[in-house]
Amino acid sequence: MDRRRFLRSLLSGATTAVIGATALRSLPAMAGDAAAFAEARAQHPWLTGWRSVTSETLGPSTVALQGTLPAGMAGTLYRNGPAWTERNGFRYDHWFDGDGMVHGWHFNGDGTLSHRARMVATPKFTREQKAGRFLYPAAGTRVPDMQMVRNNDDANAANTSVVMINGRLFALCEAGSAFEVDPDDLQTLGPVTWRQDLATVPFSAHPLVERDGTLWNFGSLSLMGGTGLLVWKIGVDGQLRSASIVETPFMGYLHAFAMTDDHLVFMLMPFNYKAKGEAFFERLQFTPDQPCRIAVVPKAAPDTARWFEAPFAAAYHFGDAYERNGRIVMRTVRHDDINRARSPMHEAMAGDAAHAVNSDATLMELHLDLRTGKAHWEDTGIHGIEFPLFDIRSTRTRGARLYAPLMQGDTSAPYFNAVAGFDVERNRRQVWRYGRDILAEEHVFVPRPGSQRADDGWLVGTLLDSATQRSGIAVLDAGRIEDGPVAQAWLPYAVPLGFHGTFAARE
Amino acid sequence: MTCNALTCLPFALLLLASPVLAGDLQVHLDGIRVQTGTVRLALVDGPAGWEGKAPPVQAQALTPSGDSAQAVFKNLPAGEYAVLVTHDENGNGQLDTNVLGMPIEGYGFSNNPRVQRKPTFEEARVQVPADGSAINISLR
Repeated sequence: MDRRRFLRSLLSGATTAVIGATALRSLPAMAGDAAAFAEARAQHPWLTGWRSVTSETLGPSTVALQGTLPAGMAGTLYRNGPAWTERNGFRYDHWFDGDGMVHGWHFNGDGTLSHRARMVATPKFTREQKAGRFLYPAAGTRVPDMQMVRNNDDANAANTSVVMINGRLFALCEAGSAFEVDPDDLQTLGPVTWRQDLATVPFSAHPLVERDGTLWNFGSLSLMGGTGLLVWKIGVDGQLRSASIVETPFMGYLHAFAMTDDHLVFMLMPFNYKAKGEAFFERLQFTPDQPCRIAVVPKAAPDTARWFEAPFAAAYHFGDAYERNGRIVMRTVRHDDINRARSPMHEAMAGDAAHAVNSDATLMELHLDLRTGKAHWEDTGIHGIEFPLFDIRSTRTRGARLYAPLMQGDTSAPYFNAVAGFDVERNRRQVWRYGRDILAEEHVFVPRPGSQRADDGWLVGTLLDSATQRSGIAVLDAGRIEDGPVAQAWLPYAVPLGFHGTFAARE
Repeated sequence: MTCNALTCLPFALLLLASPVLAGDLQVHLDGIRVQTGTVRLALVDGPAGWEGKAPPVQAQALTPSGDSAQAVFKNLPAGEYAVLVTHDENGNGQLDTNVLGMPIEGYGFSNNPRVQRKPTFEEARVQVPADGSAINISLR
């Protein structure tokens, strides 16, 4: 062990966390050490995707757009992700821990693109900036000399996604409240309380929007040591329509959900807490000998559920769900290694480039037979995707076309470098490979204004070029993905990879 | 008057004799997040008071001014006590909680127990000796 590195981490007070982290796995470098990560990144430039930001704001910067923006395409891609991951030499070791930074990629409509980003000024971020060290419980990393929290919002990093409701922009994280940010300058306006008695109740990072603009979401009460799901319904006007509790008789984890025309479908993964005093994802021990329990909740009665059981599967994200012939089918991105699923890209976070592998995931379909009450899994044969999205105008009596990044051909980073449109039922895909050194992120589907037909529109996705150390954005015709981007822009700097986003079309 | 064993001792005994074996508990609060409403402190001397089944020994209320504050509980006999602090930030007379029972206003406990639930009296208790004591409570 390098003595200088050991002394440096002792002085930074990060020792306890580092020892805890190394007990979980053996690593050549000290996990959770900012200097070790920096050295690794110098050797492996793709690690920029997991770099910490050190400035509260980025940009604004305006660059030329290569290619031509399609007629009718106008607006801003907003994204969120864990951006601030290091303080005082200490580095988070879980990808979900960093404080959220909201990005706005604005298509100006004049052949240019503007980018700006700003940290979400949560109570956590604000206090930790002032203190110069991490203070509060993190989702995956044990924080030394942790402060007690008033409630779950004190530990809310607001780092996972963004959603637009009635012209207002919200940064989301399953730990607690949505945080409202200004859509133009991205300043934080504050946590959102939809109703006074529901303050701090979790509002997940994966709300789903109906064609009429109604928004459904859930809050997992297991995250607060209890059981149950709070089901949120928000009108297109941004007002709360209902908040109902679905009782769940066990502790189950879920990150997202799916819905059909008439039902919300929540798949809960059973877990135990391993030990006291460690971070949630460290303590989380899935129990794969127990079945997943799936709640089918009628939209007309969102405090009731019909329960199904299916063999255990670990999944964060889902594609669409549809109902046909008395059966609900839900597309599910199943992580094939349950242990890795607890901490995706764990080695990348630690700078352990030699051992970093992309999360291995298979697109499965969960079939729920409404007549027999039985459930089973089917394998679509599609492997190695994540962050799936689809056009919400898709008919929900058969499966939607899914859009997701994937790995294609040679890649210098253990990460996606391509995007594809998948016709799951016909086992067909259209792929665009960005290149060997490009890391490709989630691609959002944008409907063409005035169009009615599902999948008539564009994909917009962000990229990181590890060779040039630049971040960028690409627009593709969703119907002609294999032709590559119709427009593309590169920033003069690189930003860390994020998670999820939304496109706010400009009228 | 010269103070010697003959003259001072009686006075010294007199001084010891009055407020007999009772001291002040000084409470320094930090972590007050907003300047509105009222910060309330309740001093109890056992689990009954802690659970609200008996009235507190003493209570204090103060208006916040800054992120810290001071309060004093006077003339306490030596013994075990615990202090529960609540910050009624919106001035509605209570510590607000959400539908799940989670507090959304500030609160703190003597001994600053490192538990994410209401601590027991045993976890929050402090010893106050005859000549008093000073403690720090960090509000969440």
